[in-house]
Amino acid sequence: MTMKNRNKGQIRVLETILASFIIMVALTFVNIFATTPSSPKYEATELQKVAYNVLHDLDEQGLLPRFVYKGEWENLRAALRVTLPSDVYFNMTVYDLHNTRLDDATIFYGDSQMFSMSKNIASIAYGLVGSATKIGAAYQAIYEPRIVILQLTRG
Amino acid sequence: MGHKKGQFVIIAVLMIAIMIISIGAVMNRAVTYYKHEPWEEYLTLIGSVELGSRRLVELSLANYTNAITPDSNILKANLQKWQINLTRVYAGYGISINYTVANRLYNVYGTSINYVLGLNYTWQKPSSFSAANATFALDVNSIGLKGYKFTSAAFLNLRILNVTADTNEITVAVKKEDQVPVTALGKDNFQVEGLDILKVTSRYDQQYLVVYKIKCAGVLTPPVTVKLWDTRGIQVTAKYP
Repeated sequence: MTMKNRNKGQIRVLETILASFIIMVALTFVNIFATTPSSPKYEATELQKVAYNVLHDLDEQGLLPRFVYKGEWENLRAALRVTLPSDVYFNMTVYDLHNTRLDDATIFYGDSQMFSMSKNIASIAYGLVGSATKIGAAYQAIYEPRIVILQLTRG
Repeated sequence: MGHKKGQFVIIAVLMIAIMIISIGAVMNRAVTYYKHEPWEEYLTLIGSVELGSRRLVELSLANYTNAITPDSNILKANLQKWQINLTRVYAGYGISINYTVANRLYNVYGTSINYVLGLNYTWQKPSSFSAANATFALDVNSIGLKGYKFTSAAFLNLRILNVTADTNEITVAVKKEDQVPVTALGKDNFQVEGLDILKVTSRYDQQYLVVYKIKCAGVLTPPVTVKLWDTRGIQVTAKYP
């Protein structure tokens, strides 16, 4: 009788261990497939959002049209460096509607290899409609769209 | 019989494990679906198109008010071009935009504006203005957005409040859309007909929030005509009295 009860106890312990093991396996299995909000899967999307926000803010302040239409590429580069986080590399190109490149290829920050090697590169296009240029006291306002392409990746 | 109790425990635990995995799978799908849809990116894209359209309305008004012979069709012509070019700029999103220009009498900011093809200016008065207005409907097919409506308006009002002949000073108030006072204007933004400007200073005013004092070189003899260009290049000319 005592022997039988002792065996029963051992079986219970084994059952508990087995049950715990099954639950642990289930939790581990779920955890493998769980995609947390900070997953690298979303890096490109996050960077796209950052890129749009940066250009929108610069445009809202009237800086982006000024830099682009006056060809102030160094100022544009400096503005992007100040606005973007330091670990974000950028490469910007400016085109007209005939796909002619207008910038001098200096609106760049970071390691150029990152843009060819990184898996998470965000690339967005942003449109500018034109600018009003001061001539004497008056202004000359011309519709002259520009396409700004901004590529971002994390260093 | 006692031995069979253990099997029930195993079955119960297996069921719990299956439940955990099922709930985990559903949760995972829910979280990833939400995150997969880049809502904020779409919002910023729509915001960019909105801002671009507003800039176009401002640009057209600047063109209209600065031209020697104003082209009343300039806003419509620019909008037509923007409508075509927008699909090229934001290629891949399936963006298309439709517009209607304001074409009747509106009462905006307490001012009656009679728009013709989305444009109007009333100058040579103590309170003069330049205005433009267009309404857009945006479709972004890639996200299933249809007919997102927004209005872009540009407005600049110059009001000559006072002319002090003794000190050769003109006091003016400048307001833009939503009656927001225009700040940071300087000597380069103003022109007084027939006189040079010595300096332009601004100060707080209880009624207009910001008023500018234009100090002229020479004697002010009414009527006084003041021209203003804001940073967007929009012009307005006011005359006092």
